[in-house]
Amino acid sequence: MNLPQRQTVVLSTGSLHLRLVPDFSPGLEGVVAAETAVSEVDGANGRLIYRGGYLIEDLAPVASYEEIAYLLWHGELPTESQLDGLRHQMAAARRLNDAGRGALMAMDPASDPMDTLRTVVSAQGATQALTKPTLDEAIPLTAVFPTIVGAAYRRRQGKDVIEPRDELGHAANLLWMMEGKEPAADRTHWVESYLVLLADHGLNASTFTARVIASTQSDLASCVVGAIGALKGPGHGGATFAARTMLDKIGSADNAEKWLHEAHARNERFAGFGHRVYRTYDPRAKILRELAKTAAPELHRIAARTEEVALSILHEAHPERPNATNVDFWASVVLTGAGIPKELFTCVFATSRVSGWTAHVLEALQDLRIIRPASVWIGPAPGRKPLALAKR
Amino acid sequence: MTSEYVPGLEGVVAAQTAISLVDGANGRLVYRGYVIADLAEDMSFEEVAHLFWHGRLPTRSELDALSLELAGSRQLTPAAATTLAALPADTDPMDVLRSVVSVQGVEHRLEKPTIPLAIHATASFPTILATYHRRRRGQAPVPPRADLGHAANYLYMLNAKESAPELVHALNTYLVLLADHGMNASTFTARVIASTESDLASCLVGAIGALKGPAHGGAPSAVMDQLEQIGTADNAEHWMRDARARKVRFMGFGHRVYRTYDPRAKILKAMCERLNPKFYELASRVEETALSILHEEHPERPQATNVEFYSAGVLQAIGLPTDFFPPTFAVARVAGWSAHVLEQSANNRLIRPQSEYTGPEPRKPVPLAERG
Repeated sequence: MNLPQRQTVVLSTGSLHLRLVPDFSPGLEGVVAAETAVSEVDGANGRLIYRGGYLIEDLAPVASYEEIAYLLWHGELPTESQLDGLRHQMAAARRLNDAGRGALMAMDPASDPMDTLRTVVSAQGATQALTKPTLDEAIPLTAVFPTIVGAAYRRRQGKDVIEPRDELGHAANLLWMMEGKEPAADRTHWVESYLVLLADHGLNASTFTARVIASTQSDLASCVVGAIGALKGPGHGGATFAARTMLDKIGSADNAEKWLHEAHARNERFAGFGHRVYRTYDPRAKILRELAKTAAPELHRIAARTEEVALSILHEAHPERPNATNVDFWASVVLTGAGIPKELFTCVFATSRVSGWTAHVLEALQDLRIIRPASVWIGPAPGRKPLALAKR
Repeated sequence: MTSEYVPGLEGVVAAQTAISLVDGANGRLVYRGYVIADLAEDMSFEEVAHLFWHGRLPTRSELDALSLELAGSRQLTPAAATTLAALPADTDPMDVLRSVVSVQGVEHRLEKPTIPLAIHATASFPTILATYHRRRRGQAPVPPRADLGHAANYLYMLNAKESAPELVHALNTYLVLLADHGMNASTFTARVIASTESDLASCLVGAIGALKGPAHGGAPSAVMDQLEQIGTADNAEHWMRDARARKVRFMGFGHRVYRTYDPRAKILKAMCERLNPKFYELASRVEETALSILHEEHPERPQATNVEFYSAGVLQAIGLPTDFFPPTFAVARVAGWSAHVLEQSANNRLIRPQSEYTGPEPRKPVPLAERG
């Protein structure tokens, strides 16, 4: 029976030992739900480690998104020829199939772009029979995200969809399909940096969703579609949009102090602050904050002042909590500088994270056990008898 | 404080719920306090959905209102109908359901999950499946009929004619039995997605993806396939001993939670005997043989016939094609999924567990030109 256990005896690898089990840890906080080598969020030391043991600050300045995808999938950085191979494979897989295109064109152009992404990825990944996730499926699925995001953006504006260009890299091609113009190198660099930084992040909610779905031995598209659904929530990927919306409301550096104090008095949460894992400044936020200076100098000024005031208010309210600027806050500034409209922020997040999601699914296949936790019953005592309809 | 890694989160409490309780030790499935055996034969699926969403069984007028609202929400949106038509006619029905539920739930901006949205989504599942089934057979879709209940209308839209009352009743009972089941993988998926404050359609689409897995809802067709291979009751012993020697798994057996006979399987087994005697003759012998072999191998384990085993015979008797077993499971479970999403949203905390890093210690990347 699913009753809370205060103590359980757990037999593991032959040794008998006692452990305390919390009655219920809301949000599974502190509960280890998977072993992974794809990435590690070292919250105590403020480090994000990607597969192979590389720190994010060592990768971000030098690596392209394709290199990172290769690293997350294979466990090592590619040689030049391996990277070329992956680039070709991805470029060749950017076009939608008939089902994906049909679903895209069926959508109301005003649809939430995340709903368009969720639907088109589902249709694009529809198959005749169940297939086991493979790297050969992960690559084309990752490759097609910018195509869908670009098309959703064009259709929202009443414009024709633009075909991908094979000779452009993943980041540049995303901007190309949004705008139909080859982007300036600096804008491509900002988007690329963002895509590299956000590609994986431990067992976050969308990645965990993908792993739960994978644990039923479902297919890759199902895992990714579920992850898109989870990323859509403002408590997860939707937070970048919320951060930018807050900066819009604040409007100027001079207004930050007044606006934030008033919001705090109304018990409003500051968008872009707070993280469950980091006890120090988020290493991704640090890199993005630096990039924001050149990517969006005007917004950077507002954001920097907002951060200063927000952290001081938060510190006064909760001196025991760590510095809490999260990646969403500075990502919203860099993406703005790169020319990404805020309606697309979550989609661009998904465009990055899909390599991590698929890497986790492929890793999970190595040791499949269905993820089926327990629940605590808080309903009426079992056994009451239903009244017949006429007597209710 | 971080707890030890428990594979599959087995025994780890991930939520508090008042929707359903799987009392594995006593072999009871409880919906909001009512034991499944007291609900299965007499309640309509609509009543159980009301029970899940509102926390109590409906009065006559509440039931009428809910039935009317469900009947009024059965139509596909134009975008959903177009998407359905764009999918190849040989697509896995679970992929069709996943894609079309996604379009049917499209919004212009993020909406919080609500009971009206749950009703709307639940009402659309049979329409999506029936429309697709008729399309792949080259038949025109049949518009839903508002005067028919949820189960009756599903069969009507599939077959363009009303089904016999006993088959409608059987489908209704199946839907009631499968409507919820504690923190199973698809329901948990829906709750994880809900915990990010995402929308209802996202939660349902994720849950469909999880249900698709053969370790979860994908098993009924496997049961059918294995029975077909066995062929006759007299062949059961021989086939199964031989299969066991080759390490072949018996389909429709094994469950993590029940320590006794699954209460749903018991009801489905009796229905099978009545509705599908041919299936029953073979299946009951296969069950007997499987349980005896499994008992020989693992005498410490409980009787392990699971719900998929006799579901197959019931759904076959109702006239559903084998590949429609998993999506019909979804037709039932969407009531539970949506109730869990509402429950999670009402008292939410982001579900974000920890992982244990098993990779190498931090090191410096080698520049691209120097690799290899």
